[in-house]
Amino acid sequence: MGKEELFQERFNRYTTALKGGKPDKVPIRLQLSEFMAAYAGITLQDIYYDLDKNIAAVDKILADFDMDVIGGTPSLWWAGQHDAVGAKYLKFAGRELEENRQFQYVEDEYMLADDYDAFIADPTKWILESYLPRIHEEFAEPGSYRANLALIKGTAAMMMSTGASQQAGAHWAKDFGMPLSIAGFSKAPFDTLGDTLRGLKGIMMDLRKRPDKVLAATEVLVAHNIFYGMATSGGDTSLPAFMPLHRGSYPFLNPKQWDTFYWPSLKAVIEGMWKLGKQTLFYAEGNWTPYLEKIAELPDHSIVFHVDQTDMAKAKAVLGGRFCLSGNVPNTLLAYGKPGEVKEYVKRLLNDYAADGAFIIDSAGVMQADVKAENIAALIEAAREFGTY
Amino acid sequence: MSEKLVNLIADLQEEEALATARQLIEGGTDPMAILERCREATEIVGKRFEQGQYFIPDLLMSGEILQEISELAKSRMKKGITTGYAGKVVMGTVEGDLHDIGKNIVAFFMEANDFQVFDLGVDVTPEKFVEKIREVQPDVVGMSGLLTVAFKAMKETVDAIKEAGLREQVKIMIGGAPTNEQVANSVGADAYAKDAQHGIELAKHWVTSC
Ligand code: B12
Repeated sequence: MGKEELFQERFNRYTTALKGGKPDKVPIRLQLSEFMAAYAGITLQDIYYDLDKNIAAVDKILADFDMDVIGGTPSLWWAGQHDAVGAKYLKFAGRELEENRQFQYVEDEYMLADDYDAFIADPTKWILESYLPRIHEEFAEPGSYRANLALIKGTAAMMMSTGASQQAGAHWAKDFGMPLSIAGFSKAPFDTLGDTLRGLKGIMMDLRKRPDKVLAATEVLVAHNIFYGMATSGGDTSLPAFMPLHRGSYPFLNPKQWDTFYWPSLKAVIEGMWKLGKQTLFYAEGNWTPYLEKIAELPDHSIVFHVDQTDMAKAKAVLGGRFCLSGNVPNTLLAYGKPGEVKEYVKRLLNDYAADGAFIIDSAGVMQADVKAENIAALIEAAREFGTY
Repeated sequence: MSEKLVNLIADLQEEEALATARQLIEGGTDPMAILERCREATEIVGKRFEQGQYFIPDLLMSGEILQEISELAKSRMKKGITTGYAGKVVMGTVEGDLHDIGKNIVAFFMEANDFQVFDLGVDVTPEKFVEKIREVQPDVVGMSGLLTVAFKAMKETVDAIKEAGLREQVKIMIGGAPTNEQVANSVGADAYAKDAQHGIELAKHWVTSC
């Protein structure tokens, strides 16, 4: 089969499932991430810093494994871009870390409780004038020669890395017949606030000490996060935007807090994008079982619900029929199990949850360098064997 | 009234709990007894967390209340009297891993249960574990890991402890969402704990049977 035909076949298989339909086979989408570097024999330092090697790692995987879509390169970011602006909140192999160490995110209260009012009044202005200078050495003095130069360097680097990933996408389509699994990226407003701005302790204390500010800030972020999702997907509406969800998993918030602080703004972002025709890949990291009934309030097919540690049977019961589900071969199994055990898991999973379509097979969480290649092969083999309708 | 204190803390009634603790102390209640009430309350909080009634913000809240009350109690204790410890625990998130939310919860509950906890933080190298074990001679070592790649670091840590000739002196437990009994076996730890409460039960069992 020609690459173009192959692309079309896989794309149809994947998008049919996304829309809740029953394709010819259960689509295989794997968050291979840093495993791809390990498999290609490329150091983590190289995939963080060298865009070509980051892409070459994917090529090697596509040549050897039969999947239906690919999520992108092993490294989420180009470290060079962060070096250009002197990012203080990230540590990379080759700079602060040894060459085969995973990048590190340094969590802190980068936004202070006193910053809420300025943030709510004009988030973009606050980010530019207060936040960026705090977390980047090069922006320490806004308006200075050095900071202006860093803005230019940072923008150029951003364009270089976006350009490189666009080209990579075209290359995978043309040379491997491989579609991408996602287009664009967004976040839950509460996570934007809790992950990178206030930090865990900060946001949890805010819930009690300044709940109104938290609400106002998440509301302000709704429009921003819709825009971000659409902008990063370049207007594409055929594929979902990736949304990794963090602080809404059990046991971060009790149901009342979840209903009040987490859900309304997240729902608004998802519905806002859906109005523009954009689906969301609801990447529910951890366990979301207690919140399934609420999630079911969303418009049909506005999300694909990804299962990590959520109870799959309950997810199917509550969301099945109206939303496509994906998941959930455990990462521990993929890294430490045997191919026979992986096959057994996949067989049971597909048998129990994929029979009527609207199901995509994936690992439970993002994979790491420790995953065994023979287990990936076993997963794919079993998915084809037991996942052909 | 000290019954009431336990319930107020467990129900996270910050102001009432503090007021009651103050009243008790003014009324001449032994500060040690107050600390004991705090421990009982934490046990309830831990159970509620385990049963899914309490969530992370509730734990942070109970942490604040306990800290305030125990400071109050300790300030009234005669100098020289130190509270006895149930045992010593060295704890950390292993090398390469930065996730510490779960580990901090466990450290907090261990302390509230009278263990003396030496928390080494995140990204803790095997050498740092060994150094601390040598220095403080703990009964228990707790390793946390949320990344599957952390299992390798756990194994290296256990191996380093062995090499240093310290393995026989300590019991080692591991925890973190992706870990399980099998992982504990393969890295050479003594046990896996599914949550803080379970970890405390294990630790208590170990120190009393050693
Ligand atoms: C919060 C979070 C982060 C935060 C961490 C902040 C912090 N200060 O900890 C940030 C954003 C920094 C982060 C970064 C990354 N993360 Co992260 N993260 C999570 C998340 C959402 C929650 C973890 C958590 O705190 N859970 C809540 C606590 C209470 O649970 P717990 O830790 O399991 O602890 C309980 C028990 O396990 C036990 N316990 C834990 N430790 C111990 C120790 C002992 C001794 C005992 C007795 C008991 C015990 O007691 C606790 C209380 O009951 C999980 C997904 C999820 N929801 O699980 C992903 C997750 C762990 N992250 C993951 C990944 C991949 C990453 C990154 C590589 C980025 C990426 N590509 O996504 C980086 C890695 C950074 C690094 N080098 O470590 C993956 C790991 C997958 C894998 N293959 O292992 C997960 C599973 C997400 C996913 N589904 O893909 N992450």
